[in-house]
Amino acid sequence: MADYREAPLASRPKTLDPNEYFNLSPNHRRSEEDRAALRANLKRQYQTQLNNPHRKELVEDPALTRWVYARANPYLTFKPTFKTSLMGAMFGVVPLFVLYYVFKTDRDRKEEQIKAGTLERKFSLSS
Amino acid sequence: MLKILIPTLMLIPTAWGAPAKWLWPTTLAHSLVIALISLTWLKNMSETGWTSLGLYMATDPLSTPLLVLTCWLLPLMILASQNHTALEPLNRQRMYITLLTSLQFFLILAFSATEVIMFYVMFEATLIPTLIIITRWGNQTERLNAGIYFLFYTLAGSLPLLVALLLLQNSTGTLSLLTLQFSDPLQLTSYADKLWWAGCLLAFLVKMPLYGVHLWLPKAHVEAPVAGSMILAAVLLKLGGYGMMRMIVMLDPLTKDLSYPFIIFALWGVIMTGSICLRQTDLKSLIAYSSVSHMGLVVGGILIQTPWGFSGALILMIAHGLTSSALFCLANTNYERTHSRTMLLARGLQMVLPLMTAWWFIASLANLALPPLPNLMGELMIITSLFNWSWWTLALTGAGTLITASYSLYMFLMTQRGPIPAHMIALEPTHSREHLLMALHLLPLVLLMLKPELIWGWAY
Repeated sequence: MADYREAPLASRPKTLDPNEYFNLSPNHRRSEEDRAALRANLKRQYQTQLNNPHRKELVEDPALTRWVYARANPYLTFKPTFKTSLMGAMFGVVPLFVLYYVFKTDRDRKEEQIKAGTLERKFSLSS
Repeated sequence: MLKILIPTLMLIPTAWGAPAKWLWPTTLAHSLVIALISLTWLKNMSETGWTSLGLYMATDPLSTPLLVLTCWLLPLMILASQNHTALEPLNRQRMYITLLTSLQFFLILAFSATEVIMFYVMFEATLIPTLIIITRWGNQTERLNAGIYFLFYTLAGSLPLLVALLLLQNSTGTLSLLTLQFSDPLQLTSYADKLWWAGCLLAFLVKMPLYGVHLWLPKAHVEAPVAGSMILAAVLLKLGGYGMMRMIVMLDPLTKDLSYPFIIFALWGVIMTGSICLRQTDLKSLIAYSSVSHMGLVVGGILIQTPWGFSGALILMIAHGLTSSALFCLANTNYERTHSRTMLLARGLQMVLPLMTAWWFIASLANLALPPLPNLMGELMIITSLFNWSWWTLALTGAGTLITASYSLYMFLMTQRGPIPAHMIALEPTHSREHLLMALHLLPLVLLMLKPELIWGWAY
């Protein structure tokens, strides 16, 4: 079968377990071995950096860098769809008008009460 | 006044003349002495309200706390910048201190100006050293974008202010704050007057910042070096608040109707920016958005024009200045060790740097307005005066308080608790300089608990 030999003391990944082989096509097995080789290479790079005695900084994770960049720059990947437009309207536009209506009617009601003299305004030195 | 201004100006020759080994201790000591002398401004004995009254400059209970905060912040900025500028050539370090000093000088002139045009000129003048600090000493390439946003948002907001002030000068003949407060209310009836009203306030709303025009703030705060972030968060935002509080006295009958959109933007902004804080991955960005959130409350407090609203706004400005600056210093201690602002990368620090955790804890508690700190006093006064204005604001401000508490705790738990990343080694122990920096930030905050009358503004 494949010439994959795992490192000493490491276990064989499940995809390369000979007991699982009997119903897998050769193509599938080959692709699984390639993926396992890539993963092993990445792990080796990480382990090299992790155990480097002269390292003082954090190990850089390019996936984390990409994720942080994507989180910090959402407008680059923004696409106006129905859902995003609805979200924008619901949270950005409609509340402003709703709040204007609420505050204006409340304050106008209070103003009418003051003009009619029905609003009880107790004297307070500071307010 | 001159006994503060001349020493501040002389700090520039000190920065350029001090020998290399003594540059930072000398400038630190010099600025600390200026800060201590500035505390004498707090004693307000005048009956007219204006102390240290000169031809063009004066202090009154509104501007004194902000002036003292400005003077207090310079030694803290110098202390915070010492480490990250240590690797630069000496002349660049001197230039950095000169920029900080010139910023201080313009800020003192701005807060103590009695003539509104002088305030405007100093308001614009503070932009230049800040722009240079952000774009030259920032750490990522985004700093250029941040500088452009910062400069042009503020300039675009303040050009209408210039026109409005010149119109006011034409119609009233004077722009001295000493007399403008006692002049007759202006006849403000036409549509152009409404535009004039908006022009007067737009610059300050952009500076505060108000929620709709706040985009410059996260960029500028994140990309600036630590001293830039400190001065931006602590003082430059308050320039907007101070300007609003001065100008709004003259804008009277129109404000009752025209302020509704801005109060709504401010209050909705409290909730929206607070919610955005919960989604941030970048530590400095979280602190920047929390600044927008707190300033939204301040804008709401100022625009309703009640004594408690003004008082609460001033208290919250001072308390937020100290707290936000402290949080940026803490974020910088993280950044200097890991060279990354990502929160995921700097977790579990309680196990590694437990004393710094104590400072993180106090600063986070101050940010979420824990009683009896002045942050709560300011927020509570604003919330109650907004409630008096209209009951429905309580829904927004109450939700805002809840969200503030949750993102402050989120920030604390994310950076301090939890497992340390496996690959994090060689974190320097906390320097005494960093402890001193945090103590100097939080000690005034705690002392203000004992005598809050100093920051009550006109209500004292």
